[in-house]
Amino acid sequence: MAKPHLSHLADLTPASPERTWLTAPHPTLPIVATCSSDKTVRIYSLTNFKLLSTISDGHKRSVRTCAWKPHLQGESVLATGSFDATVGIWRRWDKYGNETNHTGAAADNDMTEDASDEEEKEWRFAVLLDGHDSEVKSLSWSASGMLLATCSRDKSIWIWEDLDDGDDNFETVAVMQEHDGDVKCVAWHPAEECLASGSYDDTIRVWREDLDDWGQVACIRGHGGTVWFLDWEGVETTPILSSAEQRDQWREQRALSGSRLISCSDDQTVRVWTRQPKEGQQPAMSSSAMTGIPSIIRPTGSDETWEEEAVLPHAHELAVYAVAWSRQTGLAASAGADGRIVIYEERVVASTEAPLRTEWSVLAVVDGAHGIYEINHVVWTKRADRNAEGGADEEVLVSTADDGSVKVWTLQR
Amino acid sequence: MAEIQNSNPTILNAADLPTRLRPAVPHKPGYGTGIFASALPSPANPADFLCTSPYESSDSDDDNLLEELIDEQEIYDLIGSVSDPEHPVSLGELAVVSLPDIKITPTLPKVPGSPLQTVTVLITPTITHCSLATVIGLGVRVRLEQSLPPRFRLDVRIKEGTHSTADEVNKQLADKERVAAALENGALMKVIAKMLETCK
Repeated sequence: MAKPHLSHLADLTPASPERTWLTAPHPTLPIVATCSSDKTVRIYSLTNFKLLSTISDGHKRSVRTCAWKPHLQGESVLATGSFDATVGIWRRWDKYGNETNHTGAAADNDMTEDASDEEEKEWRFAVLLDGHDSEVKSLSWSASGMLLATCSRDKSIWIWEDLDDGDDNFETVAVMQEHDGDVKCVAWHPAEECLASGSYDDTIRVWREDLDDWGQVACIRGHGGTVWFLDWEGVETTPILSSAEQRDQWREQRALSGSRLISCSDDQTVRVWTRQPKEGQQPAMSSSAMTGIPSIIRPTGSDETWEEEAVLPHAHELAVYAVAWSRQTGLAASAGADGRIVIYEERVVASTEAPLRTEWSVLAVVDGAHGIYEINHVVWTKRADRNAEGGADEEVLVSTADDGSVKVWTLQR
Repeated sequence: MAEIQNSNPTILNAADLPTRLRPAVPHKPGYGTGIFASALPSPANPADFLCTSPYESSDSDDDNLLEELIDEQEIYDLIGSVSDPEHPVSLGELAVVSLPDIKITPTLPKVPGSPLQTVTVLITPTITHCSLATVIGLGVRVRLEQSLPPRFRLDVRIKEGTHSTADEVNKQLADKERVAAALENGALMKVIAKMLETCK
């Protein structure tokens, strides 16, 4: 078949008997973590699609979200956020079952010396981050792995610093309460210390640190309903370009505007947002350095101007719960309550005028991707099974649904 | 709930309410369409009887094949018997829910063979500022979530013009995550369980 389409590669088995909310791919290993309403997190292999271990007994209610800390070697650290209002930090040695890896290294109080531990025990509960007043909805590690952002129905975003002191100490760096409703999602910029959040108040907000003070630098309006999920454009990804000159021009534009944001909403749309170029300025530099006005006086929300660049072609009939922007291919994927997965492609419009404009088109659609069930999350990650044909860079899409099923898809083109 | 918000609501006679739960009685003309529609399987919706690919593979149990036809009357019978949180009277008797305000429509009309159907229930609170509207709506939603097969999408809303903060209530009732969290909230679920005690 010449037409691009999503092809079902595998199901992760055994599936959770209850709703699954989100699946987080490990930054380096071929494993994913799936969080479920049954209060557990399941770790599956992307090599054989089987369950490896289960993290249980940590949360008192649904586990809504989880994320792997990046840039670790020899050990994996997973943060989990739950409807019980807490965030859990979990650790496991990557070469489990190997006695030598259990000695030396970081001090750990809960660690047992017994290498024949049951699978469930491989995961060591490290610390519980307590602070939110109600359900934790989303969390995200910064690109460096030093900062963890969490958000909740209590309308706040907390930023925690991992002190990495061997004692699992986290320090509260900031609590931001500008949102007027549940904060549904948080996502860190792929390189900078810049956070984006989406909310029940229909807005997207952008946050940066300015003179040791975290504050809102933009409030983006446009969606006509709850903003369910956000993702950043990769630093290196580009749309489909037709010439080397276009590529140079694109790079120049991106250097001024930085990574774009993609968002999905209850209003059934997926949108792309871009920051107005900051001419003659490093993207990370704050405007107070320019004006000399301290952040306490400078009006919040005036730092950055974000504009709606595109509304992606209408392809969903109900709330869109998830969107994922591949940092490998630049393709976007969305899914939602209508049970549909949609793949979009961005192409630069042929024109000699600056700035370059792009157009999004629907590349593939799967109806009933999880049968009759709603899809809560989609994410791109590296393909790791033996039948991979596309080389080391081939990607798969992982979708997570209401019936507990998690499916792996490949894009055939 | 310190004080009762509407101490003297209008109550309909239970015997006059439309139902299929007791032997047929002569019906008022206004209810005719609902009854006739329910008696015949709708040819426009073969999905109720036969589940077509890609949906069949995911549903291992045979619910789809054995499932009874679900129509507006069936929905009414499910939610009409839910009790009001502050009166020992059903939502049907209070006319908070009524048969003409229940609609079943295909969720994805452009997708042939899609078994997804949307149940829309418009709720009429007894008074326009009733702060219990959210609880009533949640009770109706929970009742339907627990009773209907998962191929149904629920749209429970306050009827336009009947409530002062309808938009706010509607947004909460439509929020899947909030509803899921509410189901894990012990105090709230006690209230809901009490409302559902009277369900048949």
